[in-house]
Parts: sequence; structure tokens; C-alpha cells
Amino acid sequence: MQNPLSFCNAHRAPLSHPGWQLAPGLLIALAIITLTATGVGALMWQAPALNPAELWHSRYLRNVVSFTVWQALLSVLISTLLAIPVARALARQPRFPGRGLLLRLMELSLVMPTIVVVSGLVNVYGRQGWLTGVVSDVIPALTWNLYGLNGIVLAHVFFNAPLIARILLQALEAIPQSQKRLASQMGLRGFMLWRVLDWPAMKPVLPGLLALVFTLCFTSFAIVMTLGGGPGATTLEVAIYQALRFEFDFGHAALLALVQLSICGGLWWLVMRLGEPTKVLSERRFSQPPPRRDNRGRARFCDAALILVFAVFLLLPLLAIVARGYPGLATLPMLDPQTPLFQATVKSLAIAVPAGLLAVVATMAIVAAGQFPKAKMVTHSAGYLPLIVPPLVLGTGLFLLFRPSLGAAGQGMLLVALINAMMALPFILQLVRGPLASLDQPSRQQADQLGILGWYRWRWLHWPRLKRPLALALAYGVGLSLGDFGVIALFGSPGAPTLPVLLYQQLGSYQLVAAAATGLWLILLLLMIFSLAHVLTRAARFRPFARPKNVSVMDIRHA
Amino acid sequence: MLDVSGLGFHYPTSPDQHGPKWQFDFTLAPGECLAIHGVSGSGKSTLLNLLAGFLQASGGSIRWRQQELTPLPPWERPITSVFQEHNLFEHLNVADNIGLGLHPGLKLSSTQKMKIAAALERVGLAGMGKRRPAQLSGGQRQRVALLRALLRGQPLLLLDEPLTGLDPDARHILHGLLLEQKRDGVAMILASHDAEDRQVLADKVWSL
Repeated sequence: MQNPLSFCNAHRAPLSHPGWQLAPGLLIALAIITLTATGVGALMWQAPALNPAELWHSRYLRNVVSFTVWQALLSVLISTLLAIPVARALARQPRFPGRGLLLRLMELSLVMPTIVVVSGLVNVYGRQGWLTGVVSDVIPALTWNLYGLNGIVLAHVFFNAPLIARILLQALEAIPQSQKRLASQMGLRGFMLWRVLDWPAMKPVLPGLLALVFTLCFTSFAIVMTLGGGPGATTLEVAIYQALRFEFDFGHAALLALVQLSICGGLWWLVMRLGEPTKVLSERRFSQPPPRRDNRGRARFCDAALILVFAVFLLLPLLAIVARGYPGLATLPMLDPQTPLFQATVKSLAIAVPAGLLAVVATMAIVAAGQFPKAKMVTHSAGYLPLIVPPLVLGTGLFLLFRPSLGAAGQGMLLVALINAMMALPFILQLVRGPLASLDQPSRQQADQLGILGWYRWRWLHWPRLKRPLALALAYGVGLSLGDFGVIALFGSPGAPTLPVLLYQQLGSYQLVAAAATGLWLILLLLMIFSLAHVLTRAARFRPFARPKNVSVMDIRHA
Repeated sequence: MLDVSGLGFHYPTSPDQHGPKWQFDFTLAPGECLAIHGVSGSGKSTLLNLLAGFLQASGGSIRWRQQELTPLPPWERPITSVFQEHNLFEHLNVADNIGLGLHPGLKLSSTQKMKIAAALERVGLAGMGKRRPAQLSGGQRQRVALLRALLRGQPLLLLDEPLTGLDPDARHILHGLLLEQKRDGVAMILASHDAEDRQVLADKVWSL
């Protein structure tokens, strides 16, 4: 209501009451926390008394925990050691043909369907793989087995090194131009450039980034399911799956889930104490960097070689997917609704699109509520909780809870979409939070004074900054759900599979040509979704809130 | 008449409240200009932020035409501020930046649009309505910021170093605009290090 003392009989902005900004996000955040606590609680409630002594008495459990930690640490270490030089090389070489494509590929690594990429890795690095064949011809004594720790770490590096490199590159590109110019003028290079410019830019990003990658490797499921297995190469997440799916041992699963929650939760608690994690995904920014002494001559050649090797590392498995999948895909009647591929595509999209939309809407509400200092703790916890709670545990808990009423398959799918949306939340949150917070203090003050509040603030100040990240966020949300092989493995019905489940079934029944075609189709579908998001936000016509075309200031002036 | 009495402020971060504290008392009539100057940290911007409602006063009152302003949020006070920089929203064009001063949802009538176009022409920015702030010089940006402030039509104008760093021509244009506002009865508080600005615009000078 307008204050009776108000001097400005200003146009009251719709939805300008702070409650509109706070309540939806707070409710969603509380719902996520409640849902998670309920899911984990339901599992424990169904379980017999937990026996923590199992952890140190059972050799199997000790092995699982130590292997999980070891493979995650090794994956983080190797990914980081590879990503730092790549990011620096890319920062030093701002212009070369294909740079944009390489960056796009690096951004996509997060949403590549794991099971498809693993099949590509097997084609390149497996016993009969392209590269294994070449290397064993050159070094016959070399023994290499993709299955086990080797394969798990290789796959984790494939997924995470591009992510780390992309984010570090973004941090390097964000170094103020004035500092880059000063360094250029002073002729800094080598270690001094690292010390003065690169390391200070990367240092604040690293704790949050490494914690994220550690968590992703620690909770890895599909990779370990396909490339690991056996007591020697099982992670907590897979052990939870085995306990739930094959042994029906809820107590065991709950105990393992608690171990996972404690380790990941402890890690994120430490990271949070260091400060708010830096955003891990963001819009690309282009800048015109000043000349550097270390990006010419021999250094340029070294950079080119490193970038080439990295690009080949990323492209080889994808090329393998294309090469193996194309013959099968080309002969497939794509538009025949009776084909399993068509049906699986419809089912996948029916889950992934609502999951993506839900994730984006929830993220927006949570970020908006997070602007209130008192709500920050709740919204932050809700945002990061899905990262550390095993989706299988969450799904099983909720399944147990709703079991009496969860009859129809549609309801199960709703649960899958809901959990997928929650799992996408931490990533989307990073993508949206940066642009939303980019309204600086003076602009906020100006906006307050001019009465640009509520809907008007969203329309005129936030939406122009957010429309591209939001489209990208939607693509990420849909993409992550499309490639999900975790939750769906538990709830999916074999008779109506999604694309990743269909691929798994085809691999299991040795329909290798069909499996390769499904894998390629899944990748193409992802590319189409990302391209659509890109095109929509680039197109001038995509202005859902555009004012009606009427006479403008300039039209009047010229008239 | 603006009547500021016992307006106090201290930064909450000051340990044991031993940090800097301010208390302001003054009056200002319509059409008057009070210039304030002082070293950095003397409280110039603090005073302007308190008046605008960006900072919450620890005590005292701000009265305009006998009505208390302190409980009002920034958008309900009869005040417009112009800062030294960051006055414009970079992603909006010049016309939209000014239009936001007339309607926060940019729902402008044709008369208002004509008013904006005419105002731009008057300050030598004709034909620049579609430009983004990044495509303007510092002086042009400040002219746009000042135009928005003036078209908003509030009786109190707070100017925080608005002319610093501008070339003589730009200063001359802005001086003219501000003097005209004074004649129309707009009261102004000008925080400025520049003696020339104070000499041209101020009716009284306050050293903090």
C-alpha cells in the first residue's frame, strides 16, 4: 500500500512487496530440505538398527570407503594438473580457429550422458580400442586395462578436466584489463605472470571448484557401474545401489548413505567457511587482451601442442561414438513411433523437459529469496544439499514413503523428474546467481530511488542480464536429466525405458549397433537442445516481455 | 523548507561504537543550494545517503514541508540523486535510462517520450536516444543522468561530485541546467571538491 506520507505519488510496481521475493524461494528451499530429510529419514525408519561398527569390522565396507576417497582424490588431482596448463594456454591464445567450438565442447562435458561417453571411451581406450591398438603396437610390453581404477579415473578426468579448465579460463579472462596492460607493459612472463596475474585470479575459484569436482567423483555412479565393479573398484554410491536393488538391505544402504553425507557435507562445510563458493558456470565473456610476452614464438607452439592434445583427448571418444553410431542411426526409421528409440526419446523428453523447467523456476525463486540475509542460510543449504545427498538414497526414501500411493508409472516418473530437477539445482544455481548479483550497489540505489521495484526491477534490470543464462540453465537442466542413469535405474520400468536405460539394455543384450545408434542420438539430442537455447537467446525476436511496437522517442524526433 | 536536525549516524561495524560518528543540523529553502566540502571520510556522501534513505539514521529527523521523511523508503522521498558515476544502467539505451525516471516500468505516454526527446536536444544530445551509455563520453553520460533527475521533477536534488572530471564545455552546460532548476525552486545539496562549482551554484557553503 502507498504510504500516506509518501511524496512521490509514484506508479506502484506490481509484486513489489518483499514477500513476493522472499516467500516462494523460502518455501521451495524449505521443501527441498524437508524432502531430503524425509527421504533419508524414511530409509532409516525402514532399516533395522544401524550398526556403525560394521564400518571398521567389515573389510568390504572399509575397502569401499577407502576406494571411493582414493579414486576421487586421484581424479581431482589429475584433472586439475591437466586443466591448469590448458586454461592458461587458452587464456594466452585468445584467437585461433575452433577456439569457440572447443570452449562449447568443454562446457558440454558436464551434461554429456555418462553411459554414452563411457562407450566412446571403451572404443578408444578399451582392450580393442583405437588408441590401445596403436600404443600396444609401439610398446608391446604395455599392459593396460580400462576396467577398474584406470578407467574410472580416466572417465572422471574426461568429464572434469574440461569443466575445471573452462572455469579457470573464465577466472583468467576476468582479470581486469588494466592489470593485464600493466603486466604487458612491464614485460612480465613465466613465473612472474603466474605469481602476479594468473594465480591470484584462480586462487579464489579453486576451493569451491575442487570441492565440486571431488563431490562429483566421490558420488559418481554410472561410470563406476560400467567401468568398475567388484569389491576392488566399488564406490559408496554403487554399494548403496547394490544394497537397495539386489540385497534389499536398507540398513546397509542407510549406513553407507550416512558415511557419504558426512564426508561430502564436511567438505562443503569447510568450503563454506572459506567463503561463498565462486560461481562455477557463467556466461562466456570476450575481451581483447593486450599482447603478452609469453604467447609468441616457442611458447605459442607449446600452447598449440597442449591445446591440440587436449582437444584430441576430448574429441576421440566423441568421434568413436559418431563412427560407431552413424551406420545404425542412418538406417533407423526415426519417425516411426513404434521403434524403441522413438518411444525412449518421448519418454526421456517427458521427464527431462519438466525437470529442467522445474529446476530453473526453483533456482530463480531460491536466488531471489537468497537476497535477504536472514534467508541466505536456508537457501544456501537447499542449493547445495542435492550435491551431497545420493539421489538413490533420496529416491528410495521417497519411494518407501509414498509407496502405498505410488501406483501408476506416471507417478514414479514424476518422482524421477522431481529428483532430477533437484540434482540439477546446484549447477543451475551457479549459472544464475552471478548475473543476478551483478547489479552493483549504485545501480541498486538508483533503482530504489526511482521506484524500480518488484516486477519492474525484474523486467528492466534483471531480465536483460538473465535471459541468456536462463536459457543455458534450462538446457543444462534438461540435459542433465536426459542423461540421468542413476535415479531412473532404480525406478525405470524395463518395458518403457528412457534413452540411457535403452542404451544400457542394448549393451547388455549385445545389440552393439543399436546401442551405438542410441548413444549417438542422445548426443545429437543434447546438441540440438543447447543449440536451440543458444539460437533463441541470440535471436532479436526472442523478447517475450518486449513492449508493443509503438512510436519511439527517436521516431518522434525524426518526425 | 528542508529541516535537518540532530540527524545522526555511525557505522555499525565500528568496534565498540568508537568509530566515526556524525550529526547534521541545517535548513535549506526551495531554490537554495548548499555546497558541502571536506576531506575524504568527512561525511559528505554519508549525509547525502542519509537524506536519500540509502542509510538508516541512528537518530534525528529530516523534515520537508513539515513532514517527516526518515520513515520513508528511498522511492517515496521527494529526492533525486546524481552520483559522480554509475548513474546509468549500462544495458539500457539513453532514452530508456531517462524514461525510468518518469515511470519505473517504462510505460511512457507519447507526450513523455516527446519530452525526453526535446530534453535530449536541449542538452546537445539530439539523436542519441538509442545509444547505450558505453557509447557516450563522460560528460554526455552525466548530462543524461542529470536530465533524468530533472525530468523526474522532485523538489530536492542531491549532487555527489556530479561534475568531477568533466571538460569545461560539459561543465558549462550542466551549470546552466542546474542554475535553471534553482530558479524553478529546486533545492540542491552539492558535495564537491571543486571551488568553481561551489562559486557558480552555491548559496551557502558548509565545510565538514
